[in-house]
Amino acid sequence: MADSASSFSLTVFSSSGKLNQLEYALKAVQAGATALGIRAKNGCVIATEKRLPSALADARTIRKVEAITAEIGAVYAGMGPDYRIMVKKARNAAQKYYQVYRESIPVHQLVREVATVMQEFTQSGGVRPFGMSMLIAGHDEEGPQLAQVDPSGSFFFWKATAIGKNMVNAKTFLEKRYQDDVELEDAIHMAILTLKEGFDGKMMEHNIEIGVVGAERRFRALTPAEIRDYLGEVE
Amino acid sequence: MSQVNPLHYNGGAVFAATGNQCVAIAADRRFGQAQLTLACDANRLFRVHDRLVLGLTGLATDCLTLAERVRMRTNLYRLGEKREPKPATISALVSALLYERRFAPYFVEPVIVGLSGDNKPYCCSMDLLGTPMETDEFVAAGTCAESLYGTGETFWRPGLDPEDLFEVTAQCMLAALDRDCLSGWGAVVYVLHSEGVTVRELKARMD
Amino acid sequence: MLLEQDFQGFSFDLFLRNQQLLRRWSNESKERIENVLAKPPRKTGTTIAGVLFAGGVVLGADTRATEGNVVADKNCSKIHYIASNIYCCGAGTAADTEATTQLIASQMELHRQAVDRDLVPVAAAMTRLKHYLFRYQGYISAALVLGGVDELNGPSLYTVYPHGSVDQLPYVSMGSGSLAAMAVFEARWHEALTEEEAKCLVYEAISAGIENDLGSGSNVDLCVVKNGGRAVDYLRGYAKENVRVYRKPTGHVFARGTTAVLAQELRKYVQVTRVVSDL
Repeated sequence: MADSASSFSLTVFSSSGKLNQLEYALKAVQAGATALGIRAKNGCVIATEKRLPSALADARTIRKVEAITAEIGAVYAGMGPDYRIMVKKARNAAQKYYQVYRESIPVHQLVREVATVMQEFTQSGGVRPFGMSMLIAGHDEEGPQLAQVDPSGSFFFWKATAIGKNMVNAKTFLEKRYQDDVELEDAIHMAILTLKEGFDGKMMEHNIEIGVVGAERRFRALTPAEIRDYLGEVE
Repeated sequence: MSQVNPLHYNGGAVFAATGNQCVAIAADRRFGQAQLTLACDANRLFRVHDRLVLGLTGLATDCLTLAERVRMRTNLYRLGEKREPKPATISALVSALLYERRFAPYFVEPVIVGLSGDNKPYCCSMDLLGTPMETDEFVAAGTCAESLYGTGETFWRPGLDPEDLFEVTAQCMLAALDRDCLSGWGAVVYVLHSEGVTVRELKARMD
Repeated sequence: MLLEQDFQGFSFDLFLRNQQLLRRWSNESKERIENVLAKPPRKTGTTIAGVLFAGGVVLGADTRATEGNVVADKNCSKIHYIASNIYCCGAGTAADTEATTQLIASQMELHRQAVDRDLVPVAAAMTRLKHYLFRYQGYISAALVLGGVDELNGPSLYTVYPHGSVDQLPYVSMGSGSLAAMAVFEARWHEALTEEEAKCLVYEAISAGIENDLGSGSNVDLCVVKNGGRAVDYLRGYAKENVRVYRKPTGHVFARGTTAVLAQELRKYVQVTRVVSDL
């Protein structure tokens, strides 16, 4: 039973040439609440469902959209605790970059830093891979950018993409709707509409989160009040 | 004591000044060992990229080491980021490399000049611990820095065109070298302007 | 790649070499390399000061940097950013004040993100600074005036000494001109200062340093943090009373061709039209 032996150790390939632990990590991502991102002409938007573990949980204390630097933010699908660690590592990397070059880290460099850490956790002893995929949205000198980083450490830049439970439907939806010259405001509407596809229950300001970065190059999470307004607009 | 001091041991002076859409940097040519002159073809100006020059005076061995380390880090930056570093970015990098050795420093005084994308001049000097001093006027480093500050205060004025900036920079340098035993023996002036870099070898006293 | 760039503490690999060089070349004490260099590291021979008022804090600094007796920078900036609601004046070795405040600014930004607040407490910056400086036993020569406003304590003002000790007072001064500045404070300070009065007082204190201390000079910079830490007036060049006079208005003009040139070459810039390799 070569494969069952290899499935215990992360760093051992199965006889079919796969790292089983990585496959399982991707399963953890696919079980996670849907998150998506859209790159607009003048900015980026990322959004996610916020499924609460219980109706008694306080929605305000759960945060999924996080700023990494002033101009870069992130969201995830998969395991929240793993994401929290990666956000911390990413923020540290951003500050280290700033300390050397005295300019804020470009999106591409930050994505590579995150991906490098993810990869390390596929090849080191005594660890497991990160159980989440991350969407990183930012706006730097190169313009708005949207990237996805997977547990394997591979990363992709997208015009629009989705990860998590409803990823396939969401991506099909985005493919149909996406236009290269979409404005940020329209992209926010598009993000909400995409999230609505296959959304469990009624979409409210407290059960989704949205992060935007516009032409002014400042990433921020929208407040519940702002989200409520956007939800009203797409009704 | 000054000639047996690591910062002055090998001699050397660098002067840099800004102009209108241009910037100039001048260096002398002497390489010495205290009061013994070994060569008059020393190079103190290092090309970082087309529009960016790093001038280094101080202990020659440290100048070369630092120049090589900056070259390595610039190359890594270029490969990683697929773009040329801005002048201020290289300043920050050199500053970080120097401050890392706060308690066991390289004996160097860097001067960084460059043009940014829109030909805006950049001019910055540092002490041996890496304190950056960005200026829109002029900076001086090396054995005759005090004289260079004097000639700069007298001759330099804002808004110089590339040709006039060359004359001012060259004359500031030559006048200061005239009163310095440890630097001189030829000088070179780079003027970075919109067309390219004009490199001129100056006729100087050889004593 | 950042691993290679990580600042893992100071590097001492040239320490022995430097000691030997200096031993061979100099008869003076090898205690500190700075003391035997022909040109010492840049110092901010400095007057810095701060005053609290009801709604905030005013920080002030002169703008002279020196290398020995030479003025290395006539208009340097000594009021450093720590966080959006915290600023810090630095006196001492310029490299140390610059690097230390930048390091703490980075830490404060990480702290702000970690605690998920808009503003970090001034006390947090003060604590980080004093622990960092204490760890280096005074060898990092940064003497700081730290001021800001936060939700916890309102306006706060501290001095942090190079060895890591801290004072918290309503009016403080530091640097070689601190006596001149403190003389002004002792004579003129009172408890009910308005913002305008506080600015005026700090300006006069720094001016006293500029005029009476040789290590201080040039202009007065002020920084006012107020409105619960949500408003900052950074007044660079608040007063410029020492501009150079007796300067020929036209400047000194050299006729083109004055300088004898042995060789000349124009190195044209390379035009990158297309990047072939994408790594």
